[in-house]
Amino acid sequence: MGRILILNGSPRAPKSNSKQYAEIFIKKCPAETKYFNITKTNHAEICDSIKLVSDLLLVFPLYADSLPVTLLEFLKYLEKHHPKNKPTVSVLVNCGFIEPQQNDTAVKMIRLFCSKNGYPFGSVLKIGSGEAILSTPFRILVCAKIKKLVYSVIKKRYLTLSVTMPISKNMFIRASTVYWENYGKRNGITKEQMETMKIEDF
Amino acid sequence: MKLILSDKHINILLQKNSDIELIDLSKCKISNCIGCFGCWTKTPGKCVIRDDAVKIYPKIAASDKIIYVSKIAYGGYDSVMKAMLERAIPVQQAFIRLLDGETHHLQRSVAEKTAVIIGYGNIPDEEQDIFRELISRNAKNMNFKNYRIVFTTEDKLEQSVEKEVLKWEEY
Repeated sequence: MGRILILNGSPRAPKSNSKQYAEIFIKKCPAETKYFNITKTNHAEICDSIKLVSDLLLVFPLYADSLPVTLLEFLKYLEKHHPKNKPTVSVLVNCGFIEPQQNDTAVKMIRLFCSKNGYPFGSVLKIGSGEAILSTPFRILVCAKIKKLVYSVIKKRYLTLSVTMPISKNMFIRASTVYWENYGKRNGITKEQMETMKIEDF
Repeated sequence: MKLILSDKHINILLQKNSDIELIDLSKCKISNCIGCFGCWTKTPGKCVIRDDAVKIYPKIAASDKIIYVSKIAYGGYDSVMKAMLERAIPVQQAFIRLLDGETHHLQRSVAEKTAVIIGYGNIPDEEQDIFRELISRNAKNMNFKNYRIVFTTEDKLEQSVEKEVLKWEEY
């Protein structure tokens, strides 16, 4: 069983949902794992650790339909500092929309990075409704899929998986409205204020 | 309003009294989005990071004609443009709607756009295909009424931008 390096590419890594997904992965993984939040200053340190692993798991949220800049910057650094032994790269990506397939373009970008730079590509888990799903009873579905992801990586039987809330889109919209309304309420902001059409003061 | 948003300096001559604004993002101070959701849930429509991005995203929102100029990285925008686009999420609301059968964020006061996206670099076919897919997704989230994608090399970039600007000036 090889070692797995898990990289969190979320811009708010320490408080991110991506961190929670990574923690579930680590909890369910019988192999040795090492975890990093990607920051602007630890690219070299991460590259040192990549040398020592058989698998790399990139965990990140979808940002503006693609990879967050945090992750993009790291990939550009890695491209210039390849380890001798390149690990297999797997992906755990989440978006706030109900459709996990909205993550497809980001996955293709990682695949392209891998094929361009000679990294074997491994498994994928695409999560829809990823902003809120962990705080709902559907958490159990996510945990089950992450467990599948774990075993696909350690057994090297790579898979493409996806998970989302098993509800209708209209119900998702209603639930997400309540979720965001409550988020605003905690900051003392009403739904009406959140719905402002103004951008800055225009 | 017509806007050219470029990730590098472009030496093009705009007509006097032109209503075209050219922003060179490489000269701007734009920090990365920190994913705090402040622009949706604390100060709606305003980013909590008060750098140059806060002057730019209202202009993106107000533009009905826009040219994005960006180097391509792994089939997406390279870091300079991507950082700006991530910082432009105050133009959207947290709330979700259905658009073409898919869930997307509601927009604030964002003009419908005719967009031209000029991607430059040495871009193999596979990378071009991913970029096309990305832009088709962006179109839904950035309020593109219609769009065109132009691929070019860095040495021909200014000519490509000039050609597009000329089309604006003709109409």
